[in-house]
Parts: sequence; C-alpha cells; structure tokens
Amino acid sequence: MTRRAAILLAFLLPLSAHVGSPDIFFEGDAGPYHLLVTIRPPQVIPGVAEVEIRSTSAGVKQVRIVPLRLTRARQFAPAPDIATPSPGDPQFFTGSLWLMATGSWQVRITADGDRGPGEFSVPVPALATRVLGMDKAMAVLLAALGLLLCAGIVSIAGASVREAPLAPGEKPDPQRRRRSRMVMAAVALILAGIVYFANQWWGAEDGAYRLRVFKPLQLDASIAPGGKLLLKLQDPGWLNRRSDDLLPDHGHLIHLYVIRQPEMDRVMHLHPERGDADRFVQQLPDMPAGRYSLYGDIVHANGLAETAVGQIDIPTLAGQPLTGDDAEADAPPLSKADYNRIVSALSGGGRMLWDRGSAPLRARQPYLFRFRVEDPGGQPVQDMQLYMGMLGHAAFIRRDGSVFAHVHPSGSVPMPALQLTQPDNPHAAHNMMNMNSQALPAAVSFPYGFPKPGMYRIFVQVKHGGRIETGVFDALVEN
Amino acid sequence: MESRVPWYVWGAVAAVTSAMIGTHWDISWHRSIGRDTFWTPAHIAIHLCGVLAGISCGYLILSTTLKRDSPLRDCAVKMWGFRGPLGAFLSAWGGVAMLTSAPFDNWWHNAYGLDVEILSPPHMVLASGIFAVHAGALLLILGQMNRSEGSQRRRLRYLFLYVGGMILVCLTILQMEITSRSSMHTAHFYHLVALVAPPVLAGVARAAKFKWAATAVAAVYTVFVLLMSWILPLFPAVPKLGPVYFNTTQFTPPEFPILFIVPAFLLDLIWYRTRAWSLWLQAIVSGIVFIAALAIVQWPFADFLMTPAARNWIFGTKFFGYYVSPNSMYARYQFFPTEQPLWPEAGIAFGTAIVTMSLGLAWGNWMEKIRR
Repeated sequence: MTRRAAILLAFLLPLSAHVGSPDIFFEGDAGPYHLLVTIRPPQVIPGVAEVEIRSTSAGVKQVRIVPLRLTRARQFAPAPDIATPSPGDPQFFTGSLWLMATGSWQVRITADGDRGPGEFSVPVPALATRVLGMDKAMAVLLAALGLLLCAGIVSIAGASVREAPLAPGEKPDPQRRRRSRMVMAAVALILAGIVYFANQWWGAEDGAYRLRVFKPLQLDASIAPGGKLLLKLQDPGWLNRRSDDLLPDHGHLIHLYVIRQPEMDRVMHLHPERGDADRFVQQLPDMPAGRYSLYGDIVHANGLAETAVGQIDIPTLAGQPLTGDDAEADAPPLSKADYNRIVSALSGGGRMLWDRGSAPLRARQPYLFRFRVEDPGGQPVQDMQLYMGMLGHAAFIRRDGSVFAHVHPSGSVPMPALQLTQPDNPHAAHNMMNMNSQALPAAVSFPYGFPKPGMYRIFVQVKHGGRIETGVFDALVEN
Repeated sequence: MESRVPWYVWGAVAAVTSAMIGTHWDISWHRSIGRDTFWTPAHIAIHLCGVLAGISCGYLILSTTLKRDSPLRDCAVKMWGFRGPLGAFLSAWGGVAMLTSAPFDNWWHNAYGLDVEILSPPHMVLASGIFAVHAGALLLILGQMNRSEGSQRRRLRYLFLYVGGMILVCLTILQMEITSRSSMHTAHFYHLVALVAPPVLAGVARAAKFKWAATAVAAVYTVFVLLMSWILPLFPAVPKLGPVYFNTTQFTPPEFPILFIVPAFLLDLIWYRTRAWSLWLQAIVSGIVFIAALAIVQWPFADFLMTPAARNWIFGTKFFGYYVSPNSMYARYQFFPTEQPLWPEAGIAFGTAIVTMSLGLAWGNWMEKIRR
C-alpha cells in the first residue's frame, strides 16, 4: 500500500540554490592568492550584485571583477571593474556589477599583486525573486504629482482656446469661454483614456515581470512498498526551465536532505536514483514516524542550481541499511538546543568540535565555520577521507525552515556550475579529489553567512575510517 | 521696432537642445558602455532641459503674475491665479513631468529591474515632459513671433523652425528601437514613421508661414542626427556589461537619419500651391505624397545601407551596440521579411499619414492664431 502525503512548502521563500539564502560564498585560490568571496545577487533582474573579496594572502594590489554568462559561447568580456580596497583594510575589496538577464552568470575575479596575476570565476544565478509593492508615501507622492499633471494639462488646454488666440489686452467672450470648457472636458476624457491605457500597460509589464520571478521546482513525495521513497520534480512553471536536464554532482543528480520536523532530531543525506525523466527513487532505512522536510539540491545543464523542497508524513518504517554515499544521524531535539555547545559526539565514538570563538554570530556577515574531528582519545583523527570529493558537507537550516543551505568547503557554489566556469579543466570542481587521503587534515571549514537572524541548526558531515559521521550544532544569530 | 530675441526664448531653445543632445548621448551610452548612474553627463544634459525650462518659465510666469508693469501682462493667459505666456505654462508642465518621472523611474528599477528599453511607463512620463518642454518652447516662440514684425519676426521664425526640427528629433527617438534599417523594407516601417513626421512637418510649416518650412524642419532633424552620428564615435567607450558580442571601442552612433527631407521638400511645393484647398483634401494629397516619396527614396537607400560601401563613418553601419547578437538579422545586414501581401499594411501606412497630416494641418491652423 502506498501512502501519498506530499505537501508543498508554500511558506518557503522562492530562492534558488538553497532556500532563503541567496548570497554566494566562495573560498578559492586565484593563482597565488587565497580569496574569500561573498556575492550578494540582486533581487530583481536586471540588477546590481554586490561583491566583497577578502584576500587571506598578502601582496594583493588590485582586484578586477567582471560578469559573464556562464555557458554562452562566443562572447567578449566587458571591461572589468576595479574593486575598491577598504581604506582601513587593504586586503578587503568591494565592488558592484550589473547582471542584465535572468539565468546563470559567473563573476570572473582577477587578483594582481606581488606574485603576478591569478584568477577564478564564481557562478552566480541571476534570478528575480521579489515582487515589490509601492509604499504608501511613494503612492501618495506619485498620485499627487499625477493629479497635478492631469489638472495642469486640462487647464493649459482650456487657456489655449480661451485666451491664447486673443490680441493683447482683449478679454475672452462668453462663446470662447464655453468652447474652452468643452475643450477642457474633451481633454479630460482623452486623459482618462490615456490613464486607462497606461494602467493596462503597467499591468502587462507587471504580469510579464511576475512570469520571470523565480519559482523553484517542488518535490512531490510518496512512500512505496518496501520502504522506498518516490520523488517527482513538480514544475510550477517558470520560463523554459526543464526538470530532466540535471547535471551530476559527484555522480548524483540529486542531493537530498531529509529532516524530521519539528525537532530536527533525525537527518539523512541521500542520493536518490533516477527513474523515468524527472522521477527518483530512494531506499529508506528504518524510520521513526513523523513529518519530514525534503530539500533536494539539483543543478541544471546551464549551471543554474536550485533546491527543490517538499514535505512528507512517514509512518514507522522498517527499511534497509543505507549504503554508498547515503548517511543518516540522530540529533538532540531542537527544543533542547544548547546554543553554546561546541562539541558534538559522533556515532563512531569520537567527537566533532566547532572552533566557534566567543563573538556573537551576526546575520549577513561572512564567516569561516571551522570544525575539528577527534578520536575517542581526544587526538585529531588520522584517517580522514573525502566524502563525495569533499572534506565535508554542511547544512545550515533555520528553525522555521525558511533557510536551508548546503555548503561545501569551497563555499555555497554547486560543483557542476563551478565546472562550467572552466570547461577545459576536468578537475575544476574537485581539486580535492587529487589529494592523498593519507594527508587529509582532521579539520574542515565552510565559508557561509546567515541571511537573517534567528535560531539555526548546523549538520556537518565528514568521512573517516570508512564511516560517514554527522556533527550537530546550534547557532543563535543576531541582527 | 524691437529686434532682439527675448532671453526666455533662448532659455527654451537651450533647454530643447540640451534634452536632445543628452538623450542621444544617453542612448549611445547604453549601446556602448551599458552601465550608468544618475550622474552621467548624458543624464545631466537631459535634466538640464527641465531645469532650464523650469527656471526660465517659472521666472516668466512669476514675474508676469507679480509685476503689474510687466510687458507680457496684456499678452498672457491666466491659469490657477498665475499669468504668463501659454508656452511658459506648457514648458513648466513639462518640467514637473520630468521631475515626476525621476522617483517613478527609480521605483520602477527597484520593482522590475534596471530597464534597458526606451519604452517603459516612467520613461514615457519623462518623454512627455521633454515633449511638453519642446511644444512649450514652440508656443513661446510662436506667441512672440505672431505679435512681432520685421527682423525680430524673422529671427523668431528661424528659432521656431529649429525647435520644430528638434520635435521631429524627439519623436523619432521614441521609434528608434522599432525603425532600424532592417525594417525599412516593410510597410510597417512607413506606418510607424507616418505617426510622427507628418504632423510635425504640417503643423510647423503651416504656422511658420514660410515657403520652405517643412524642408527646413527636416533639414534641422537631418543635420542634428548627422552631427550626433559623426561626433559620438569620436569618443572612446568600452562595454561594462556582458554578454558582449561586439567589442565596442567607441560611442555607438544613431543610425543615419531617415530621408524625411525629400518628402518634406515635395510637401513644401504642394502646400505652396494648395493653400486654397480644404484641409482634408490637402491632407489626403500630402499624406499620399509623404509615404510615396519617402518609400521611393528610403527603400533603395536602405539597400545601400546594407552594402559594404555604407560601413564607414559617414553612414555608420559599421557600428553596433555591444549587446547586438551577431546572429541577428540586423548584425548580418539583412532585412526583416516584407509583408506578404504588402498592401494591407501599406494601406494602413497611407491612411495613417493622411490622418496625422490632417491633425498636423489643424494644429498648424490653430498655432497660426496664437498671440499669447
């Protein structure tokens, strides 16, 4: 018997490549210089993206930034902008770039300094995500000016008939005054028609804009006999997007987080297999009953990443143990969250420590979240392994579900999109794959910034000794 | 006899000139550099129009209203307790419209994105303001001209024809996006230009009472657009937006002016001989002549513009905006397909020209009587 209980998360903000977390964080090497990049895309397109670059290497003299389409061939680069160095911090640069069309873009960053030039590109989705209303003050101002203009042109039309043709000193006769009033009435009627037409035009422009506002794919989920999770990507309709053009990210077309609500006390990081077209299937493990949120990260062929969301009620389920890259973990109930806790016990006996520092966490600030993995004896583990090409994966989730971000050590950029920025380099997206596993450090860091204040849960996953371990932390973010 | 041109007329002429230079410069900026701020020189030139019109016409209205011995008091119109020349009120209205467009445009950018198109509602408010400043300048000159004689009247007539030409420049800018050379072998092109050129040529020519008025208006338009298309590319510019399909290195000029001067010359000849005809009869003949004459010269001229011989600084077809797709028909020097059959749209073009010509003639008749 199949139980179908998919519910769309209508309350979630429609933001791509993560949920409610539009800013992009990226850490990488531009030649000899190590840079931490934050890009804040505009909420309307065309719009202005704000770029912040911090160099952790000394000697950077100049940083140039330029926007390019991610996959469009045969294009010249526009003249780059020179990012402005901070007066108090010469290794911190800021700039702004115009993104002129909806779709996948990249910001090419070139650092130049004592050790010559170096560059890399950061993929940036340019998506309209906001429908702006007009505030009352602006509406009153524009209405008043509009009325003044309408009344003015009617009066000018009246004067043009009443007095303008008269010789100097001559007074208008009653007939001329009557004709003037008729002309004023006619002009008022024509104005009413113009205002009506203008309103229709505005409505049509608004409607066309609303069609461009990004609408993420939704996950339609159900349970099949044998404890199988069936997923279908539901397209609410947005431009000419397809749901069957996905690029694999480390061999998986979809990276799915399944999180039990409302306590977030159980998390799974799964990789459903593709069935027909936009359908996926995943064998589930043993599951306690409950309502689960689903966050599925996918990347389209043009490099556009998005997180498809859904929700499902699952009864107590007897499944099968997870295999391969799939992982699961239990977590303390959110209602008992300790926002000062920096140690998370791991299922294999070791522990994960968050080098959090003592300063309060602030919204819209980029941070490097650093975690260390220790064995039961308190020593750094010596057997760290890559987990899907990465030292680790982290998920940042706001308590109310309005924010979800799946972040890698290189940042919030999806790997297939990063690969598209360097089509000639087959290893652009996973340089870590070339690292000798024996030399992997027992620490991992993630560049990320919380988009708004609130209570967040952080799931950090690493692999060592053949086990995928999950650390769980909670963060209180201030404004 | 007073022969000097009043200072406020010069103010109005400077305002319309500033607006048209600024608008062409701004469009070229968007085709060459792409990115701008409110404070580009082109924007300043556009808004200087509103400032010049607002200050000169505002002062004119206030001084006429408050000074009982003002020489303009007897030849002013009254509105909302104020007195002043009709053209001053219209120009001031244009200034307020331009002012209104600024917060509206800013909100529009925030709501729907930074626009890259000429035709948007806030831009239309701005355009109506600029047009009103032009029309106000025209009426300001006209009122003074119709009250004067001798050398002052002659000088004012030159300025009147100049402003008429600038009105033609202003209206053709609105159609710039939809009347490219690729469209010149469609009847729709002639339909579109029939909306703007005939009323300006007819109205200004009728009110100017000058044998070669339409030719002069078309000549002002032609010379102004030619100057813009020859001067702008002399200045370097590089795109600051992507994707960039043409590696622009200089300001991109407007297209070569439409050959309005040929039908305008013929219209002057016709109007000189048909003064006694009824307005509708004149409009029918003038409308047909306008479309036919324009098509006869513009159609083969467009063929020439598509050839390598026109890809030089004189005709400017070697210049493209950075964003023009190299696969577009425009970039490949190809024409949009001619309508099949041609005659329905051609008939609409002729009908439009006749209607707009009649409106222009009626407007000219009304302007002939303006004294204030």
